[in-house]
Amino acid sequence: MAQIQLKNICKRWGSTTGVKDFSLDIADREFIVFLGPSGCGKTTTMRMIAGLEDPTEGEIYIGDTCVNGLEPKDRDIAMVFQSYGLYPNLTVYENIRFPLKIRKVAAETHDSRVRKAADMVELGPLLDRYPKELSGGQRQRVALARAIVREPNVFLMDEPLSNLDAKLRVSTRAQIKHLQHSLQTTTIYVTHDQIEAMTLADRVVVMSMGELQQLGTPTEIYDTPANTFVAGFIGSPAMNLLDGKIIDGKFVTEHTQIDQLPSGLPDAVTIGFRAEDIQVTIPTDQHDTANSEGHIFAPVYSVEMLGDSTLISIKVGQALLIAKAEKTFRAEIGQTVSFIVPPEARHWFSKENGARISV
Amino acid sequence: MTDDTPKVFQQTPLLKAGTYGFLVLWALIAAFPLVWIFIMSFKLPVDAFAQNPLVVIMGKNTATAADAFSLLDLILVGIFTYYAYKIPRKFYRTTVDYFLPIEHRKLNIFALCFVYGLLVVASFFYLLPFVSQLVNALFDELPLLSLLSKPLIGYTLEHYYAVWVENTFYVQFKNSLTVTFGVVIISLTVGTLAAYALSRTTSSIALWLLVIALIFRALPHSVLVTGYLPFFVDSKEILTPLWNLPLIGSIFSFFAEEPPTLYGQPLAVIAVLVAINQPFTIWMLRSFFMNVPKELDEAARVDGCTHFQAFRKVILPVMWPGLITTGLFSFLLAYNDYLVTSLLLDSQNETMVPAITAYFNRETTATDQVEAIAAATSITAPLFILVMIFQKQIVSGLTQGAVKG
Repeated sequence: MAQIQLKNICKRWGSTTGVKDFSLDIADREFIVFLGPSGCGKTTTMRMIAGLEDPTEGEIYIGDTCVNGLEPKDRDIAMVFQSYGLYPNLTVYENIRFPLKIRKVAAETHDSRVRKAADMVELGPLLDRYPKELSGGQRQRVALARAIVREPNVFLMDEPLSNLDAKLRVSTRAQIKHLQHSLQTTTIYVTHDQIEAMTLADRVVVMSMGELQQLGTPTEIYDTPANTFVAGFIGSPAMNLLDGKIIDGKFVTEHTQIDQLPSGLPDAVTIGFRAEDIQVTIPTDQHDTANSEGHIFAPVYSVEMLGDSTLISIKVGQALLIAKAEKTFRAEIGQTVSFIVPPEARHWFSKENGARISV
Repeated sequence: MTDDTPKVFQQTPLLKAGTYGFLVLWALIAAFPLVWIFIMSFKLPVDAFAQNPLVVIMGKNTATAADAFSLLDLILVGIFTYYAYKIPRKFYRTTVDYFLPIEHRKLNIFALCFVYGLLVVASFFYLLPFVSQLVNALFDELPLLSLLSKPLIGYTLEHYYAVWVENTFYVQFKNSLTVTFGVVIISLTVGTLAAYALSRTTSSIALWLLVIALIFRALPHSVLVTGYLPFFVDSKEILTPLWNLPLIGSIFSFFAEEPPTLYGQPLAVIAVLVAINQPFTIWMLRSFFMNVPKELDEAARVDGCTHFQAFRKVILPVMWPGLITTGLFSFLLAYNDYLVTSLLLDSQNETMVPAITAYFNRETTATDQVEAIAAATSITAPLFILVMIFQKQIVSGLTQGAVKG
């Protein structure tokens, strides 16, 4: 049993703050992902759980024990590092065996446990090699095997896929997901890659500037972002955000007039909508758009062909708005297009603090 | 021979000739005196100081007055060296894999190498002369082939005998070992611990400590000696209060009945040489530690090590070449030191380097000079052996820089 509880964790170095008043309950066997841009405090939080950093304030519980002040070795965790952290002077076999040896696990069980762990990550034929003779993906699998060999209570993974190339990342990602499913171990995974977060997590913690922005399942995070930061961070392309004013029951800004608004919106709001939820059309009359259907009319800023779809972007003020159109859709740069934002695709955020306005 | 140098680094033929010419010249200037005194040390003074270089090399007079190698002997030595070198290369892997028990593997490998080394040395000095005598006697009987067994290159060991046995050079050798091993052990122990701490801390004091260390390193050695001198001379009086302390005093008296006068003792030299050497050791080791990724410490801690275990079982083995390289530099500093040892040591504790000057200060005869040369050659031998043994580690310590995880 290893549920993890963080109670009002703070981390400060002198005057800089790494993590601010962070609280979180992680259930047993849960796969939780810390997601955020670099420098948001996600790695620091994980290192505090691992015992590599001490929290300035707050308490960390693993199971029922408060682990503040406990050495990393006494926390029954295993960690996978971004740059692998393999011992270069030991073979793959000895690397995987190291945690067993150092913890004085009965020696006769070592061989079977090492081989079992190595087989789980398909390292069987490489046991006699040294880390320098392995590719990046193989090294990371050695690190995974070293983490699982001891069957700890908690896995901590610090951006384990960042040093791998795109193709390996996909296969290793699947392997990690599969491992966690079969081992049923509580796992905390730190990444700045939202695709990893969406595909792996039971729940995602989105962090920014040392603070928790939103905690939820990948679907919740995607469908109902809690604020403009999460909205602008999650999704590829991220949610379009446009500042404007409510005048006469219409959302108005440059090039834009949106009607059929819900009641109870403040005067200054930000509207958000996802690229795939809106439609793009080319008005027949390029110079007079007054009679054409659509909410936003602007010249095309760029056209990107993705193969399965076409991305059309326009510029409204400083904001770059992107729509996902059919793969056959074509438009010239500079040509006026209209974006239609259906009411169910609209997300509303307060312009003051960026928080979501539920309607 | 194919030249795989990338095109940008390839030299024009003229430049190439110049480079090789310079290399040859440099090797001659640098290595020639060493080789020459090595040859001279085995000849009688008549040959050693002969005008004709060929006489020096062949040692005609030495051959008649003392021993000589025949061509056969040389061939035998050649064959012996070839196989002594080839056999381990060929059988090492299989022996280690099939005949050594799995437990205590490293210890077993060390024992194996040690025994092999002993065997080689023993057969070189006992078996080989016997065989060569036999072969020479055999060839003597044959008509034309007896030419091969004629004495060719004269040699004598009498200067080495005079130096090591008659002049008891082994005492100085022992003193040198005491001083160098004292210096190496202390400066490496303190150095690794300090350098590890300095490489892992983020404190700003670390930088100041390093700068202070650098200043100490910059001081002339004689300044340090004069600084310590009064203490060494009066150390008996200065240390007496320590011996009189209730509990600590009895611990001290366990080592020595009464406080020692350090002046003239190896301990004094060790202290000064460590003081001179320590800053350098710390800086050098620190750069090796900096190259060991911090993630290795962290991985070890998470895997179950205490802080010290992580240092000893993970970090030290990884930067082993760095430790050897730094140790070698400390060794050289202590082994080759003249100034400190000649100033601080009394005659029965004298080390080898200052002892050689005694040969020149005497009313020198030609024999004395050759003996001095033999002594000088003896001093260089351990250095060669050391570098040969550790060459792999030294090369990787000097070149690799980054220890990649």
